Amino acid sequence: MAALWKTCHQCLRYGFSNASIYTSITAVNVISKRNFKAHWVAPTLRELQRRKVIEEDRNGGPKIFHRSTFLEWNYDAEIFAFSNRLGEKFNDSSLRAALTHKSYIERETARLSDIGVESNLQFHDNEALAKKGGEIMSKFINGYLRAVFTQVPEELIRAMHDFLTSNATLETVAKHIGLGDLMLCADFPCKTETYVKSFKAVVAALAESSGEERARIFVQDLVVTQLYGQDVNELWNPVDPVGNLTAILKREGKAEPEFRLIRQAGSNSILAVYYVGVYSDKNFISEGAGESLEVAKEMAAREALKKLFHTEDSMRALPFGRQLKNIQSRIAQLENQPNVPLSEWISQKVMSAVH
Amino acid sequence: MSNSHLFLPSGFLRTPLQNGLGRYIPQLQRITLKFCKNHGGSRGVRDFIESDLMEFAKTNPGTVVYLKPRRHRSPCMVAEYLNGEREYLSCHEFSRDEVHKWLSYMCTRSGIPVMRFRKYQHTDYPTVQGVWNPFTHQAPEINVAEFPHGVLSKPIDHGQTATEQLIEIFKKTQIEDPVNKPSN
Repeated sequence: MAALWKTCHQCLRYGFSNASIYTSITAVNVISKRNFKAHWVAPTLRELQRRKVIEEDRNGGPKIFHRSTFLEWNYDAEIFAFSNRLGEKFNDSSLRAALTHKSYIERETARLSDIGVESNLQFHDNEALAKKGGEIMSKFINGYLRAVFTQVPEELIRAMHDFLTSNATLETVAKHIGLGDLMLCADFPCKTETYVKSFKAVVAALAESSGEERARIFVQDLVVTQLYGQDVNELWNPVDPVGNLTAILKREGKAEPEFRLIRQAGSNSILAVYYVGVYSDKNFISEGAGESLEVAKEMAAREALKKLFHTEDSMRALPFGRQLKNIQSRIAQLENQPNVPLSEWISQKVMSAVH
Repeated sequence: MSNSHLFLPSGFLRTPLQNGLGRYIPQLQRITLKFCKNHGGSRGVRDFIESDLMEFAKTNPGTVVYLKPRRHRSPCMVAEYLNGEREYLSCHEFSRDEVHKWLSYMCTRSGIPVMRFRKYQHTDYPTVQGVWNPFTHQAPEINVAEFPHGVLSKPIDHGQTATEQLIEIFKKTQIEDPVNKPSN
């Protein structure tokens, strides 16, 4: 009887999970061993699972508990582990302030005043830190992008920056460094904005504690790496590639781009393919393929712009970690110098900026 | 030679949050060791806690270690990872070394479930020169060629091989020799 109760209790605690993280105390992967269970164990567990599923459907999802409601929880130890996991040193007060939200402070003061206790809570919230963190994070990201993508117009830099500082990206990063359990907030499960705010505040706390250099490396290691594997040309494309290419070549004093059909196959079928090449003064620039002549022409112009901006599929891999040691000063320098915008882009201008 | 008999899910190599690209973040968030203070099945865990646990905690400062002494319960360890996954392992009647071994195994995991790897390598940029298509390396002359063509319809002429070139050079020297012979 005791064995059954123990098994059932364990199975109730360690149930079956959904796909998302932080939903409930579930998602247990067992390193399995041979077990001999009595004949009634499996049917009993099956019935309990059936009832649990019905109950959860009625309540609209499994019950979720914050990790801090568990008996084995030590907030000080968790904070210590958090800073060591990232390899950074934080001021204790800065980090705790960065993880405390205004909603939590309000809830606690309301609760204490309901009981009747005078609240002399020394909590600092993370509003100011989050704002500052957002600004310095943008600065660091822009510096990195401009130092690595030297030939690229400012519009693409902005698109990449917006992708990296988007709520989705920052929420993923925040969740995967363990902020979910550490944040003190009134909402549970925590909203996206809460995660994003906490992360920005942590960046600001790090800048306060260890200096801007360390914070820059932190943002590079954790946020900018999310750009790896992304095709930057999917983030932004000029609206009129043919017009832009013509304008750029004109500015550089080269001949107008000439589009010629290079290859074609299956022109009367659904799977037609046309290869169009761009030539300037009989010099081959690039080629593009498409299902019709217009599409192929646009693709060819896009490829030509990619070649000029050095963002082709075969471009150099993004540098991270130790590879950035030599260009950190350059990154810091370019944080406040935007790249050339598309309307003024010209090879000579960006050539002079290359380090 | 198939894998359909395995109940193991399969997948490709991946790592959470591009771990290792910028810096390496140990993925083990916390580990809970549950054991009994009396029962013999927990002896290995108790010995481990008394001797090796402090060293483990010092070498892994990014992992929180929780100890749960619970009477009349068999020992187990539950590892929680940064991506929210948990791993449960029963440590009943483990020796001290076994506990140490499995604990260091937990440290090496990310929370991604054990799976059969379909490939042992992964890349986000599978091609640099571009994927082959039927137009790659084709002579541009085919665009305006009328087939059958004098050159393009014939087998590709790769030119003389090195052996054939040597034979030609030798033949050339053979023809010159009879001229020099009278001087001999």
